[in-house]
Amino acid sequence: MKPILVVLLLGLFIVLTFAFFNATQTPQVSASIVGLQASTDIAGYARADHVRDFKFPDDHGPHPEFQTEWWYYTGNLQARDGRRFGYQLTFFRRAITPTAAPRESAWATNQIYFAHFALTDEKTNRHESSERFSRGAAGLAGATGKPFRVWLETWEATALNADGSRVQLRADEAGRALDLTLAATKPPVLHGERGLSQKSADAGNASYYISFTRLDTTGTLTLNGETFAVTGSSWMDHEFSTAVLGENAVGWDWFSIQLADNRELMLFQIRQKDGSIEPLSSGTLVEPDGTARRLSREQFSIEALASWKSGATGATYPAVWRVTIPAREMVLTITPVIADQEMRVSILYWEGAVEVSGTVRGVGFVEMTGYAGGK
Amino acid sequence: MPTNSTLIRFENVTKEFQEGDQRRAVLRDLSATIQPGEFVAMIGRSGSGKSTLLNLLAGLDLPTAGEIWIGETCISALADHARTLFRRDHIGFVFQFFNLIPTLTVRENVLLTAELNGWQANAARIQADALLGAVGLLDRANVFPDKLSGGEQQRVAIARALCADPALILADEPTGNLDADTGAHVLDLLLRLARAQGKTLVMVTHSPDIAALADRVLRLDHGKLLDSAVVG
Amino acid sequence: MQLTLFKTALRDQLRRPWMTLLVILSVALGVAVVVAVDLANASAARAFKLSTDAVIGKATHQIVGGARGVDENVYRDLRIAQGNRLSAPIVEEYATARELGAQTFRVLGVDLFAEAPFRTYLTANTTQVGLDAFAAFLTQPNSALVSAASAERYGVQVGDPITLVLGTRERTITLVGLLRPPNDISARALDNLILTDIATAQELAGMLGKLTRIDLIATEAHARALAATLPAGLRVASASEQAETITQLTAAFQLNLTAFSLLALAVGMFLIYNTTLFSVVQRRRVLGILRCVGVTGRQIFALILFEAAISGVVGALLGVGLGILLGRLTVALVTQTINDLYFSVTVRGVDVDALSILKGVLLGVLAAVLAAALPAAEAASVPAITALQRSDLESRLRRFIPAITTLGLALLVTGAATLWGINNVTVAFAGIFLGLFGVTLGVPLLTVALMRGVTQTLGRVGLLSRMAARTITQALSRTSVAIAALMVAVSVVIGVTIMIASFRTTVVNWLDQTLTADIYISPPITGGNRPTTMDATLVEKIRAVKNIRGSELIRNATARSPELGDVRLIAVTAVYNRVFKSANAGDVWRQVAGGSVVISEPLANRFRLREGDTITLLTDRGAKQFPIVGVYFDYSSDQGMLLLSLDVYREWWDDPNLSAVAIYVAPNADEAQVENAIRAAVGNAQVIVQSNKSLRDAALVIFDRTFAITATLRIIAIIVAFIGVLSALMALQLERTRELGTLRATGMTLRQLWQLTLLESGLMGATAGILAIPTGLLLSAILIYVINLRSFGWTIFFEPVPEVYAQAFAVAVCAALLAAVYPMVRLGRLQVAEALREE
Repeated sequence: MKPILVVLLLGLFIVLTFAFFNATQTPQVSASIVGLQASTDIAGYARADHVRDFKFPDDHGPHPEFQTEWWYYTGNLQARDGRRFGYQLTFFRRAITPTAAPRESAWATNQIYFAHFALTDEKTNRHESSERFSRGAAGLAGATGKPFRVWLETWEATALNADGSRVQLRADEAGRALDLTLAATKPPVLHGERGLSQKSADAGNASYYISFTRLDTTGTLTLNGETFAVTGSSWMDHEFSTAVLGENAVGWDWFSIQLADNRELMLFQIRQKDGSIEPLSSGTLVEPDGTARRLSREQFSIEALASWKSGATGATYPAVWRVTIPAREMVLTITPVIADQEMRVSILYWEGAVEVSGTVRGVGFVEMTGYAGGK
Repeated sequence: MPTNSTLIRFENVTKEFQEGDQRRAVLRDLSATIQPGEFVAMIGRSGSGKSTLLNLLAGLDLPTAGEIWIGETCISALADHARTLFRRDHIGFVFQFFNLIPTLTVRENVLLTAELNGWQANAARIQADALLGAVGLLDRANVFPDKLSGGEQQRVAIARALCADPALILADEPTGNLDADTGAHVLDLLLRLARAQGKTLVMVTHSPDIAALADRVLRLDHGKLLDSAVVG
Repeated sequence: MQLTLFKTALRDQLRRPWMTLLVILSVALGVAVVVAVDLANASAARAFKLSTDAVIGKATHQIVGGARGVDENVYRDLRIAQGNRLSAPIVEEYATARELGAQTFRVLGVDLFAEAPFRTYLTANTTQVGLDAFAAFLTQPNSALVSAASAERYGVQVGDPITLVLGTRERTITLVGLLRPPNDISARALDNLILTDIATAQELAGMLGKLTRIDLIATEAHARALAATLPAGLRVASASEQAETITQLTAAFQLNLTAFSLLALAVGMFLIYNTTLFSVVQRRRVLGILRCVGVTGRQIFALILFEAAISGVVGALLGVGLGILLGRLTVALVTQTINDLYFSVTVRGVDVDALSILKGVLLGVLAAVLAAALPAAEAASVPAITALQRSDLESRLRRFIPAITTLGLALLVTGAATLWGINNVTVAFAGIFLGLFGVTLGVPLLTVALMRGVTQTLGRVGLLSRMAARTITQALSRTSVAIAALMVAVSVVIGVTIMIASFRTTVVNWLDQTLTADIYISPPITGGNRPTTMDATLVEKIRAVKNIRGSELIRNATARSPELGDVRLIAVTAVYNRVFKSANAGDVWRQVAGGSVVISEPLANRFRLREGDTITLLTDRGAKQFPIVGVYFDYSSDQGMLLLSLDVYREWWDDPNLSAVAIYVAPNADEAQVENAIRAAVGNAQVIVQSNKSLRDAALVIFDRTFAITATLRIIAIIVAFIGVLSALMALQLERTRELGTLRATGMTLRQLWQLTLLESGLMGATAGILAIPTGLLLSAILIYVINLRSFGWTIFFEPVPEVYAQAFAVAVCAALLAAVYPMVRLGRLQVAEALREE
């Protein structure tokens, strides 16, 4: 009788094996990452390869034929009790393709907007940053020149007058908020050669670069739910370009300084792979009357006096600088208001409020990119 | 088991069966006692009530009236489950038709009762093998009963009856289905083992020759005990 | 403990391998059916849940609108004016994808920038899409992503065009990348998904300016507060609510399937009972000895149950294997029906889930043990007396016939009371099982009566017939069970056949009355019972075709009722082709044209509505009460429908679209010509132009497909019953070996013995067949008037189908005669001398 049992069990085994074998699937190997960094293919985009005539307020608005554009608002603020704050609200525009196909849907676009918002609080030694993304369509995000406005959902910079010299800034994020009115005290400054700011020797490796270097600022600032009435001074950079940096560039250090004598200073130096500084790094000195004077690489030096290592990311940044402009007999020591003003968003960089001392006092903002590993 | 002088006691036992509308008495007001170690033969014609008496004694059936005591237990007052347990502990059986379990080997048939009584498997096996040796069938221990002759089967049945070490062995015509020589051999074996182990043996038989070997003969006729004689 | 005792049980089973095999087989078949149906149901449910989860993601609520969706400005306001960042816009449409096996896919349009909190498989770090693909996805018109698994399955690659049929339009999209989700679960969730940018989806679906919905992550309080700010026509629904509503749709359908599968197991139980009882009867002597030797009744009881449990376990395991294989068939049938009738779901193979299998094994073992309980009790009551009369059990059974019959009658009454007393489908099935069991308890009495009749009529003709009838009566404990099993199986066949036939006739008649137009034009159905949309301009083109006497316009939509949930609307320009179950006196259409509505019977039954009641619907102009003026027969949807005038619909909802057009051809015109003219008029638009006949045929094809699985289960019930009769006959023959030997010895020829066997078997089959007819009729009536009405809410008109009874009777007798073959072969091999010697 045993063979029957054996046959039965064998049959059972075969049936079960077959049933289960077919039911299981081989797991799929898969990995990840959708990057927001757009392609490095720049064919088809407009380039900053010639001096152009700016027409305001239109040119405060977007230039979608260029790959990259940003509106940078930074400033140093004080509450009535003297408590000191720094802020940054930046809107970025990025084109994914050089041209947009004609589409029916209002949601269709080749423009992506993202924005960074950060507050620095000297008293609590805190710096908090956040980031938003949106398509530049369907009214969710975008920019216009006439009247000037750039916005990403609830974050916005909106002109309060026709020429865009008065602007309202608004941003909010989990207990942090900003609602400021900015009034330019000088006309827009065109950096470089009438606004064409060359970044390396190759033609087109340049940006169009316009600034409001001094904006009187009043409004409110909210931190951890607590709202402060603040006053201070802001700086706005508007820059658009396609492929700015040369092949050997690893990052840049950028300074915007508002001096107590009503002059402003913009300096940038592009660092190269071999440790040298790009010869076309430059600066602009704005006189009290608004006259802008170009500073070439040879006319200034930037020396890092200390460094700071980010506990969060491990990146090491310069921390204190000495800026020397011999022709102007200017020696400035630039010190961060607090050490950690690292922007820990999808692009890692350091941008923060600084205190200026030396031959003349002042406040300002410094931006440093390319220090985070691998970048 | 109690050690006092009486092992089995029938007190005014009556057994009636319902047959259609009528009740027929098979045993009538029967009283008797059996001593420990006694070999009692029960004789009588077919239908005289022998088997009924044996069934009552085994606790397989209940009397209509009266009491049956085994030792200090009134088994006629026990419920079925308790009677089964009592039987398992105290009574061994030898049947006319051997009644071995066909699906168990010879050894397993023998050790079944011990195992049912809760013996350790090893102890049961040693006991079974000892008894199989005593009945001369140890070499057939792993064989199924259908391979054995009638005499051999009955020898296994005897081993089985003794395996759980019962005080009382009931035998229902144990030689009735065997030829004379084999029957004599089997009977001799049964008596020898029963006596050697001091068991009480109650045997239903038709054979006067066997009755003659008994310590005492109970003769049944129409449900009555005619006389009881002690035979040398 | 008592290892030796259990050895007897095991060895006993091996000594009768055929009997053991039969028990195992009957458990296996029953379990296989239960597991197969359970797996099919579970697989469909799981596939649905996965795809729903994939689409719902972490959303807790959704802003939904009427037929036309949600205006996209609502989203912008939500995002900017209200600063609600836990929101995501969705545009969704169903489409048939030609190059993807012509399957229905869900085209899901998302805004990737809003997705991160909702659907992780779409956002960074989980899916390898690639930069170029991502750019193309966002900026290229008609670009889409599908899962790598789908692409592989249908042999398409990145860059390939895919033709989508959406409503009446055909669009070609380009595959710009593949989604490779991190694990198998999310891979399967993406199975029937075509992912596009929200702009692409709007363009594909023709939903410019509109969203299908806005997903939210919100607390209840927040959601309520938000709802208050929404424009009229929009509401906040909880995300689970919609999935639940949809799964509830199939609950009745799946319950019915489960009940039928349990029936197969129940028939199997008869067989187990029968076989176990036989083994007990055959072993009475051994059991008697065991009792003598000191085995207690309880131990014997446990022993028999142990035997049954062994067979149950082996059978159940085998059944699970068979069930998984069978599940491949059932899952296809179940999925087809769900797609035809309820919603679109893609099921890839069978989900062998542990719970279904565990359930199957437990049910199998439980059924075996339960069925063996009575025989085991019988075995336990075997007295410890060695001289036994074999007919003891039989005489006792006959003595108990009145009691058994009374119990049966009581069960029948209880079953009936349960059926009519409690309005619940599960309870109704319980009632059916109770009632059927009651009827089977009547089988011994009826068998005895019938056999007495046979003895008195046929018996005069020959001794053999008399013997056969008596054998059946004498072995009643086994024969009646075999007869009962066969009877139940055959009555299930009769009941289900009549139910399906009645249903079909009802549907045919209903189609006759409802489909009065000559030509029907509608967009291709993309699976499920989902509203489809035609452009109004297309309709104008159609109506401009010559030789059209008249046309009816139809719009299908879904509206929300605060009390009833989603209600399917059908807005029409005429109602005369509906048959009313009940309606207010007077001209119904005049009332409907005036703003009243009529509802289908399933809707009326589901919510206990009738004419005179009102129903509140959330319209684009806010909540509005509609008076119900009638209930009409409808078999197109078990969810029910609300029918209203198209003009009224358009007054309350901003929806100029149509779902179908029915055309009446002018009296003297050639219908085919008009049909062709319409085809020419619609040009490239993807619409189906169908004649009355082809639409009706299509409806009946779906109907027949729906009942394919029921038909399959019916056959399995017959197989189980057949095995039951076979085992009963074999049991009878085995038990009577000695008697048969005696008959042969006393001069009966082998041929006569065969005749006797055939007669016995045939009589049993005939008895089962005769008893099955009234039982089957009763069952069909219950299925029609109770189960269907309660499960689906529609009235089926009873159709007697006379030929079924003859067929069923023939099936019973044939099954029984066929079952006699093996015992006859065995008889041929019977060694007379040996049979006689057997004690």
